[in-house]
Amino acid sequence: MTNGLVLALIGAALAALLAGIGSAKGVSLVGEAASGVVSVDPSKFSKVLLLELLPGTQGLYGLIAAMFILIKTNVLSGNAADLTVQQGLAFLAASLPIAVVGLISGIMQGRTAAAGVSITAKKPDHNGKAIIMAAMVETYAILALLISVLMILNIAV
Amino acid sequence: MNGTKYANAVGAVRAMENSLLGRSDMEQLISARSKAEINSIIASKNGIGANAENLEDVWNMLSEYAPDCKELEILLYRNDFHNLKAVLKAIISNRDPQQYYISPSNVELPVLTEAINSREYDALPEYMRHAAAEAYELVTRTLDGQLSDSLIDTAALKAMQESAEKFGGEFMQKYAKLTTVCSDIKTAYRCCLLNKSAQFMETALCGSEELEKSELIKAALSGTEGFFGFLETTNYANAAALLKDSAAQYEKWCDDAVMELADGARSQAFGSDPLAAYFIAKEAEIKNLRILSVCKEFGADKETITERMRKLYV
Repeated sequence: MTNGLVLALIGAALAALLAGIGSAKGVSLVGEAASGVVSVDPSKFSKVLLLELLPGTQGLYGLIAAMFILIKTNVLSGNAADLTVQQGLAFLAASLPIAVVGLISGIMQGRTAAAGVSITAKKPDHNGKAIIMAAMVETYAILALLISVLMILNIAV
Repeated sequence: MNGTKYANAVGAVRAMENSLLGRSDMEQLISARSKAEINSIIASKNGIGANAENLEDVWNMLSEYAPDCKELEILLYRNDFHNLKAVLKAIISNRDPQQYYISPSNVELPVLTEAINSREYDALPEYMRHAAAEAYELVTRTLDGQLSDSLIDTAALKAMQESAEKFGGEFMQKYAKLTTVCSDIKTAYRCCLLNKSAQFMETALCGSEELEKSELIKAALSGTEGFFGFLETTNYANAAALLKDSAAQYEKWCDDAVMELADGARSQAFGSDPLAAYFIAKEAEIKNLRILSVCKEFGADKETITERMRKLYV
């Protein structure tokens, strides 16, 4: 295994790890707020569940970016490419947008969605507005994923 | 991530807020012709979410959800110190303090009674120890209940301000200051009417950044005209005008000012403020229902009842 491949794997790990942490924190925060509402009014379960799901996507984006790196470097096929240090660093750099933005946007989307739970608790008919506000944060995670994927796909191996 | 540890509690409180009586419910209650009608309106609201009919239930519910009650406990300081007065008086007059005990409270009655009886004040929370010892000593030495009551009332306000500064956020600090100002104005006015000495007022008034004790004492010593003249130069000119006309109107102003403060917590998604605001809202609701019940009993007209109703949270 070359040093370049190790760097590429670190990149894949960071994408899955940091974005996953962001999602876990976000989902748990919304989960706490949602549990509070459901403990008083169980009929609102389905509405608050939608909000809880939103910060979970960053973890998926991190997974997608990591999978692209693993496919591109042939790690999944069991015939890992001999990467130079420069190529490895390129994969590492490509993983950073979704890793960092995934972490931060997951947490922030969790905050927005948890605040949205209050809207759902008090005015269930306005649940859609809470979802839209939380979904706005998603934009930046999608943009980061797009950049990471474009970078990964364009690294010559 | 300030205040996110309260996410669960805030979620629960937001759901409970749906069971608070709103303006239209209050109008219906005021127009209700029988007790049965009143009860059915209240029951229809309590059916959704929280089913707390008294403040003790509300407090128990909030403490179950809140990860940390230290800040919220400040809301019960007034009850704690009221209970201290009750226990002292009961001990002196050899009566049962139970009938004067107010709940919810941070200190259970047996603990409070035992601490005063044995003069083992360490069993009490830190904010009460000194006041309890001093009041006991004062009341047993002088048998002056009024002076000891004043000392305890002032200690309660001081404890609220100090604890709010120590554990509380901006909301609780403002609450403590507002409560102090409201109480100080009322006490200073009474002292003014009763021609109390500066020395008495020194014990009876707490003072705050907004209304300094020395200025209030000076104003109260100058007679009612001078007292109201002084208040007119402060942020409490409206309150002073009401106090001049009626103590009941002034009490309503104080309750409404606290509710206006609590109103700011409606838009907060995190932190302990929404919990404190819910407690204050429930307190006002219970007070309104009591006023309604008394007014109905004495056959007061709709306008009189509406005039006396406190501001609502929802």
